[in-house]
This record gives sequence, C-alpha cells and structure tokens, in this order.
Amino acid sequence: MIELMAPAGNFAAMQAAIDAGADSVYFGVEQLSMRARSTMNFTLEDLEEVAERCAPKGLKTYITLNTIIYDHDLGLAKKIVDRAISAGITAIIASDQAVIQYAKAKGMPVHISTQLNVTNIETVQFYSLFADVMVLSRELSVRQVKTIVDGVKKDDIRGPSGDLVRIEIFAHGALCMAVSGKCYLSLHTQNSSANRGACIQNCRRKYRVVDVEGGHEFEIDNEYIMSPKDLCTLDFLDQVIATGVSVLKIEGRGRAPEYVKTVIECYREAIDAYNEGTYNQEKIDAWMARLAKVYNRGFWSGYYLGQEMGEWTKKHGSSAQQKKVFLGKGLHYYPKAKIAHFDIDAFSLKVGDKVVIIGPTTGVVETVITELMVNSAKVDEVKKGMDCTFPLEQLVRKSDKLYKLVDVAVEA
Amino acid sequence: MVTISLQRAKCIGCNYCCEMASDRWAMSKKDGKTVLIGSVDKRGFHIVKVGDHEYEDNKRAEKACPVNIIKVVSV
Repeated sequence: MIELMAPAGNFAAMQAAIDAGADSVYFGVEQLSMRARSTMNFTLEDLEEVAERCAPKGLKTYITLNTIIYDHDLGLAKKIVDRAISAGITAIIASDQAVIQYAKAKGMPVHISTQLNVTNIETVQFYSLFADVMVLSRELSVRQVKTIVDGVKKDDIRGPSGDLVRIEIFAHGALCMAVSGKCYLSLHTQNSSANRGACIQNCRRKYRVVDVEGGHEFEIDNEYIMSPKDLCTLDFLDQVIATGVSVLKIEGRGRAPEYVKTVIECYREAIDAYNEGTYNQEKIDAWMARLAKVYNRGFWSGYYLGQEMGEWTKKHGSSAQQKKVFLGKGLHYYPKAKIAHFDIDAFSLKVGDKVVIIGPTTGVVETVITELMVNSAKVDEVKKGMDCTFPLEQLVRKSDKLYKLVDVAVEA
Repeated sequence: MVTISLQRAKCIGCNYCCEMASDRWAMSKKDGKTVLIGSVDKRGFHIVKVGDHEYEDNKRAEKACPVNIIKVVSV
C-alpha cells in the first residue's frame, strides 16, 4: 500500500490532514526544520499532542530536522531527537550526518531528506546503513525513479529495520528553481540561507535582464524567469504509482489548512481509485478543478515525464480560483441541536454562501449555509457586528474562525 | 551610549551577529539561538546598554541579521 504523507504547519492543518485521509504527517519543530521563517512551526511541548492525535488514527508522524547543522545547533538537534523518541514520534527526516548518526545511535528511525538529493542506487545502498526510507531528488524522471525502486529489490537493499528500503517521492506542491534546495540566492542577497530554512524566495520575484556594457534590456516574454509552477502528479498518478514507490509526499508546511484538506482529499481519492481500477479522465478533471481552487502557481509535471525545463509561473503569488475572506470567530456550539454560533466581525454572511471553518482542534470544515438565525429569528443575511447561528453537523469550537469562500476572477 | 536589543525567540541561529561583533554575541549550545551578552530579558526583548565604541560592529550585526530582530540605536 502506498503511503500518502501530508504537510502540517500547525494543528489545524494536521487535523485537516487526519480528516482528509493522510497516512502520515510531517512537521517542523523550532528553527531547524527548513521553515525557519514560518510562524507555522510546532514547539517541543507540542510533540506529545501530535502523537496523541495521530497514533490512534493510525497515522505515522515525522519531524523534519533537515537543515544544515552548525556546532551550536547540535544541542538543540539532539534535544529534538530525544523528545521525539519520548513523545512517540515515528521518525526523523534528516539530511545532516550529525543528525542521522545521533538518531541512528538512539534507535530513532531516520528518513533521508530530499535535501541530500538521492539520485542513484548506490547512494541508496550507502544510506541504507542508516535509514529505512529515502526521499529521492525531485529532479528525477519516473523512469529513473522506477530504476531505483527496482534496484532496491534486485540488490536486496535493506535498512536498519531489516526490511527493504522504502522509496519516497514528492507528488505535489512548490518546486525550487535550484536542485532541491541547493540554492544560494537568498544567502547572497540577504544573508538568509535556504539551507537553514530561511529562504526569502528571490526566485518568486520579477526580473529584468540588462546588458551592463551597453545598457540594453533584453526582451523576455515572462519576467518571472526563475519561479517554477507547482508540481502536480495527479493527472499521471498511475505512472507514478507504477514505479513502485512506497510513499507520496505532499509539499506545503507553509500552506493553509484548507489547502492541506483539498490536496490530501484529492490524492487520497486518486490513490483509492487507482487501487480499485476506477482512475479515469473524468475523475482527473474533477480533481484538477478542485486543486485549482486552493493556493497554486499553476501546475506542471515537474521533471517526472522527462519534459524540457522551464515551466515558469506568469504571476506573483497564487493562481487559486477561490479565496477565503475572514468573517468572524466562534462563540458556541449546541451539540444536541447541532447549531453553531458565530460572531460576524467583518463583511456579511448570506444564506447560500460557501464557508469554511478552521481551528486547531476542528481542522477544516467546509459547508454551505442553508439557514441563518439572529436572536432566534430567521434571516437571509447577517451584517458585520452581529452574531448569528446556523445548523452545522460537525462540532465547532470557540477557537475556530469562520471564512467565506469566494471565487476569484480567472485572468485570461 | 548605545542600546542593543534582540527579539530572541525569532532567532534562526544563523551566527552572523557573532561574526560581526564577537565580543557582544555568542551562540547558545543549549537552544542554538544567539545570546546578547550582558543583556536583560524584558518580555522577550533582550536589551543591553553599551559604550559608543561598540556601535559600528553591532550596527553591522544588525544589518547582517536575516530576520531583522536586532536593533542598535545610539542614544
């Protein structure tokens, strides 16, 4: 069975991943997780809760501890490994040899991060001394991936557990213009190392090319000359699964909970459809339409199909066809009547509106408003500054936020 | 007089401040974040007052910090 691995930047995203059908989640702790700038990181104190939420549902949990490590980081890195073991986290995703060595010595399972750019079978053989799971470089084609997966079986390459090494690849999400994170643009311009998780994303900006000697500016069709579109394998997932890989990873620890929900749901359904023999074009079209609604820079197949390089995005930020607008915060939930009570602090809410409710325990709940009440009287619209109730099957909480989903005009 | 402040929780442990002003900054082996030597923690802001002769080096540390959590002000 192929494992679907979801990103989690916070508890809401983690809950969304659990509810959407992920088999495992990966997340960062403190500043050594390749998302140092993100406010969306877990702390050491959160580890027990992560394990408590995931393990009973059968989800595995992985900590990304995959930056380069300086001497002064060793203490924290070891502390993270120790705490992960005591909290019952499944494995550590690592790239620095110090982390790999320490986790191995402590008996903590290791995943070899994509930051180590595994691109051939002998490298798999080498790291099998330390790790049972290896993430391949994102720049390989499906043919090359298959050769490596077949090689593991042929050469009987086993990890420390004694089982055959499991090969993992990225299935969906942002791609880097450099070889899987081996980029120094951010370090050179802002002292901000991508390999320490502090990338300022120079590649996502607009650029002009000027001939310094003559002062002439070159004409290029697209100013976003370094910003790749997002990887999407959903429309050729049959080819991806046929390589025999064991784990499909979804990128996006920095992305919103509703993104995690939508992407994981689509890939879950696609994997299940493949297994049932019902993976077809009609379903693919429907999944692609859903994926286009959440954050994306346009989609391409990455390097998997061996196409030429250079699928660059044409605009800054997301091409999502839907956005969420904050309306208000949760006040109460009446479980017997199944009624949710929310404050409306901004804009307005109407009957028929599509809404999403997001919270650390709730995860992501999407629904359409069928009925609205203010002070027990039915209304069609609730304006800013009022509070309202509406029927809702799922339990929601005070810590939840209510958003309206609105369509974004698609540019020609 | 020069006031130096550090919003320590946001430090990503890059080490640049130590390179720029090694007498005033050191990396903690405990949590991998920088330590502003001699400072007092005031609700997450670590603050120290130093002599004018430290201004230049610490100004370079402020400029080098990739997450802009160091402030160096001449008072």
